[in-house]
This record gives sequence, C-alpha cells and structure tokens, in this order.
Amino acid sequence: MTAPASKGGPRAIPSPAPALVVAFAGRQNAGKTSLLMHLSGSIQKPVNFPGSSVERTEAHVVHRDVLLRLVDLPGIASLHTVSPDEAIAVEFLRGGGQAGRADVVCVAVDACKLTVELKLLEEIMSLGLRVIIALTKNDVATREGRPVDAAALGRELQVPVIEVNAATGAGKTELLNAIAAAASSIPTAARALAPDAIARSVQPNVDRVVHSRTDRIDAVLLHPIFGLPILGAIVFGIFQLIFSGADPFITAIETGQGAIGDAITSLVPDGAVQSFLVDGLVNGVGSIVVFLPQIIMLVALVSLLEASGYMARASFLLDRALSRVGLSGRSFVPMASSFACAVPGILSARIIDDERDRIATIVTAPLMSCSARLPVYVVLIGAFFAPSAAGIVLFSIYVMGILVAALVAWLLRRTVLRGPHSALMMELPVYQRPSARVIAGQVWIAVREFLVLAGTVIFATALIIWLLSYYPRPAAIHAEFEAQRAAVAAPDSPDGAEQIERLDAAENTAYLEQSWLADAGRAIQPVFALAGFDWRVSVGILAAFPARELIIPTLGILYSAGDVDPGDYDLAELETDHRETGLRARLRESTGPDGEATFTPLVALSLMIFFALCSQCMATLAAIRRETRSWRWPVFTFTYMTVLAWLAAVAVYQIGSALGLGTGGA
Amino acid sequence: MPNPSHEPVSLASLRPGASVEVVRVDGEDVLARRLVDHGFWPGTRVDVVRRAPFGDPTQYRLRGFRLALRKSEAARIFVVPAPAGP
Repeated sequence: MTAPASKGGPRAIPSPAPALVVAFAGRQNAGKTSLLMHLSGSIQKPVNFPGSSVERTEAHVVHRDVLLRLVDLPGIASLHTVSPDEAIAVEFLRGGGQAGRADVVCVAVDACKLTVELKLLEEIMSLGLRVIIALTKNDVATREGRPVDAAALGRELQVPVIEVNAATGAGKTELLNAIAAAASSIPTAARALAPDAIARSVQPNVDRVVHSRTDRIDAVLLHPIFGLPILGAIVFGIFQLIFSGADPFITAIETGQGAIGDAITSLVPDGAVQSFLVDGLVNGVGSIVVFLPQIIMLVALVSLLEASGYMARASFLLDRALSRVGLSGRSFVPMASSFACAVPGILSARIIDDERDRIATIVTAPLMSCSARLPVYVVLIGAFFAPSAAGIVLFSIYVMGILVAALVAWLLRRTVLRGPHSALMMELPVYQRPSARVIAGQVWIAVREFLVLAGTVIFATALIIWLLSYYPRPAAIHAEFEAQRAAVAAPDSPDGAEQIERLDAAENTAYLEQSWLADAGRAIQPVFALAGFDWRVSVGILAAFPARELIIPTLGILYSAGDVDPGDYDLAELETDHRETGLRARLRESTGPDGEATFTPLVALSLMIFFALCSQCMATLAAIRRETRSWRWPVFTFTYMTVLAWLAAVAVYQIGSALGLGTGGA
Repeated sequence: MPNPSHEPVSLASLRPGASVEVVRVDGEDVLARRLVDHGFWPGTRVDVVRRAPFGDPTQYRLRGFRLALRKSEAARIFVVPAPAGP
C-alpha cells in the first residue's frame, strides 16, 4: 500500500513516521525497477534527487508497521562513475549527498552473471552499509543448468540473500522481511571478496557458455541476412498498429470533443464566453487528449520490446548505420516512434545511455514526419498534384525528413554536441516474457507526465492563440452581418437557410481577418512572401505553432470554406477529389488583389516542406524541456527547425520560380 | 621463449567463432575501467559470437552473459587463444 505522503498535492503531511530509507542498487539490467514495482504494489512517482535534476522513482511501503522509503538508484557498474546519474547513485550510497543516507541497501544481483556482480558487490560492501541481496533471474540460470545456491551465497558473503523473481514478484514478502530485519543489524564489514572463487563455490558451471533458448532465438533475429528484414517487419507492424489501432480512439475523442462543444454552444449564449469555452477550453483540452491513444500504444509496444530483450538486438543491428551520422543504435526506437508522434518518441529516448547521443536524438526526432503533418500534406497534395503523382510526392516528403534529420545530427555532433565517440557496451539480455504490471506502470508514468506537461505549457499556448484570433470583436461587423441576415428573404426556406449559413461563415472570416492574429500574419507576411505564402497562409502558420494541424481549420475560415470537410484531409481521399467546393477547391481558386492565383503547385510544395521541417508542436517542445531538464534544447530545437523550414521553403519557391514552375497547373 | 602463436592480439581483430582468454585491457582511462567492470579482467574467457550486418558492433559471450562492443572498444582488450576446454 502507498502512504499518503507519496501522493503529493497540497495536503497537510501527517507527522513524519520514522521512515526506513532503503536504497535499491545494482546494474542496469539486474531487474531493480520491476522489483520495486512489485514491492510497492503500485505505480511509482518519479522524484528528483535533492540538489540535482536526476530523476528516479521512489515508493513508500508500510511493512509490519514500519514505513519503508524505497529509493530506486540509477544503475551502476562500479563505484567509479562515468555519468551524472551514476554519480548520484554512488553519492547516495556513500551518504554524502543532500538526499540523506540509506539505512539499508538492497543490491539486485543477476544470477546469470554472478562473477561480475560479485565484483560490484565487493565495492558496495566496502562502504560500511547494511547490505542485503536480492538474487534475480535465478530461474533463467537454473534453466541454463547453473542455479545459484542462495543460502550458500549468503553464508559466503555473510549477508542475507533472498531469491526474488522480478517478473512474477515471487519472493517479495521474504525480501521485505529481510529489509525490516536488516535495519537493526550491524553494518556489513568491508571485506575483500574473490569473485571467481566464491562464484565457483555457489554455482555450478559459473561462467559456462550455455547454448540456450536465447542463443537459438538470436540465431534467427540477428541473422546476417534476415536480421534486418525481420526488424523492418516488426517496425512496420508497430506502425500499422499505431496508425490503424489508435484511429478509432482518436475519432472517438474528436467526436466527444465536438459533442461537448455543441452542448456548450447550445447552453451558453453567443459571445466571448462561449467562444472561450468551445474554441479555447474544449479544443485546447481536446488537442492534448487526442495524443493519448498513440502515446499509450507506442509506449506499451516500446516497453514490451524493451522488456522482452529485443530492443537491444535492434540497437545491435542498426548501431553502425546510426553511429555514422552521430547517433547510436539506441536512437532507432525514438526515431521510428516519431513517425507516429514525436512526443512518445522523445520520451523513449531515455534508453540511450550516452548523453550526447540522447540529445542529438531528441532534437532531431521531430524532423520525422509525424501523423499530425499528414492532414496538411493530404489537403495540399490533393488540391495541387495529379493523382498519379500524389503517392510519390508524399513519400518524398517523408524521405526528406529522414535525410534532413541525418544531416542535422551529423552537424550537431561536429559542433555543439562535439565530444568523444560514445562507447557501446551493451548487454544483450536473455529473452523473457515481459511483466504486464511493469509495462502498465511505464505507460501510466508516460501518460501522467504528458498530461502534466500538456495541462500547463500546451494549454497556455492554445489559449494565447485563441485570444489573438478572437479579439478585437468590433460591434460594427456583427451589426453589418445582422443587417444582411435580416435582409434574407424567406430565412426558413432551404435557400434562405443556405444564405444565412454562408453569411455566418463570412462573418467568421470577417472577424478573423481583422483579429490580432491576422494583424500579426500581415506583419510577418513579407518574411513568408519569399517562400510564396500570402498573408492568409502566414496567419495559418502562426495559428499552427501550438499544434501544426491547426492550420486546416484556420485556412478553412480564412478561405471561407467554413467547416472543413474531413474528406479534404483524409488520406484515403488523397487521390480522389470530386469536390467542386471545399477547402481544396478554395485553395485552387484563390486569387490575390492582382487577380493572380495565390496558390500554385510550387507554393503548395514550398508550404509542405515548411510544415515538414518546422517546429510547430508545443507538446514536442514541452517533452524536450522535460527530457533534457533545461530550456536550452527546446529553444534550440524550435529555432533551428523554424529557420531551416523557412530557408528550405524559400529555396524551393525561389528556385522553382526561376525555373518557371511558379505558375500553371499541375 | 615467447611462443608467437600466444602473442596477445586485440579482441577486435578476431573473427566470430574464436575462443580466447583476456590477458590485459590497455589504458588507465574510464573506458578501460568500464571494460573491466563488464567482466573483461585477466583470465576471463571470451567467445566471439557474431558481427552485426554492417560489420560492427560484435557480439561476445563472457562470464555467462552476452555483450556487444564496437571495434573501437574491443581494440583495447588483448587476448590469447583460450586453452581447449568445455
């Protein structure tokens, strides 16, 4: 059970019980985190180590009336640290940090690599702490014909050794008992251990090279010829699942959002309050919640691959290709995930150990064309390119994103992220069945983090854009359209109703055309003119900075297309466009003051390239802020992507115009 | 007299299928320390399992687990042929 103190929030904390601080130490793959999840029986709350930005999980458990504060320390391979995370762990063990000192240290020891673990254990035992050992993965070692004798190991080391199963949670009660008992014992004395000798005495075939099930699976999955195609198939399958599997949920959220908006419209009188509730609040919340289906599915699938042991294999297969451009094999997951959505992609970059690799991955992942860009591509390709060319144009935009990301990563690693080539020492763990509880825990942590971040930064930005697009509201516009509506003959006839609907849409256009947002769009238009964009597209781009898909409804209003027909941006309708009206038609027909077409295939291409490269997603920037723990990288990402997008759009438009492609049809 | 066939060679130079024993890890830096932490200390038996499709990294088996190293890391580890064993 979880103590109230771990819930946080503005409640009075009861008088502090004498909590016993239990640190969980060990190597990265030893199973600490899932062990902790089993022990606490609940999802843990990530907390910062005091005085640092290193974030790790902590759980509170009451066992036999003793409050245990379980602290999951970052993985360490020795007391000689190389990363800030490891330094925090060791500082905590030494008791020199601001976070206090552990009363008991529970070291997770992987039975499959006992000699290596004993070497680390010797170092930890030299610190004069109360040490107990959680022996993990002994089931795997037993299957390999080399079970560790836990009791004998305990006798050799003179510390309690409890066998636990991090996947099923078996042995957790015994471990809690041992932790509670260890609290009153005397600290473990520092002692030299002889890892090889001890391991030999408690485990048959200690370092034996076993040809196990894992090796048989690896023979297929890491096959020199079939390994990469299998990886490709797995990635494709995940894509399919996310694209098609999340769709019904996304539709349901959008339907619900529409229904709530309609309900508010019918309950609240027209005006600023109604618009604020519907366009600001409901749409703001909706644009956040709509990300959840993809985040949940992707985080679940990525955790599944990670926990099963396959992710390390994927990194092994691709390390060479990715390290050429300054990334690492581990960058593959975040990059591939970002085709669906960069937010879970960036969250999944945590599996990259090397800090420079991780940052390079995080700041280039948003260049992968995410699913929110797709509607923009579909409208523009559908409107301006022949059906036969549609597929190849779409494909080229995706490929361009990948190439630009590779180029940017390569440049970053030679400039701001220059440093020694990262070392790769990656364990390929034994394949195992992932624990549903651990995966659910990881999904929940990601969802909660996203909602917290979305609830603040993203929501605030959406509100600012709403404010700018709504005000000012001159009464003159309303009076003018009221007069026109009153002048409609027979407003109840179908013909009259249609006229009124058109007047309503025109009124919305009139309001938006004189809004502060439009003023901003006109003010910035000279900058975008070089890329061929008129003031309306400029307004659309400004409105799309919180979330890029917002350009569709904005252009809908500015081009007087009213509510945009979903068929205009549905991928299934990319190559079919029978409509004489609607957004695609309006874009084709639009003309400037001089009667020239404002939109040509060249402008459409330039706009698509702008959208492919531009940083128009507050959620992504907030995720970068969260994962890099500084404002530096979100600001950097926003700046480089926006500048790059502008340069590329201008280059395409100017070169295309010079070649005489600026006018004419597709 | 030094036997030429037992002159230590770098682990990076070996092909999959080789079975060797660690003699030393070169250098005093963090990387060398890390390699020792991961089990490459003198006397450790290492099997070269396979290379990745693009030729790097390489999978090794040692001390009962599997580890991938790039050539740049494996080049620090010096080995001699393992005595014939199980």
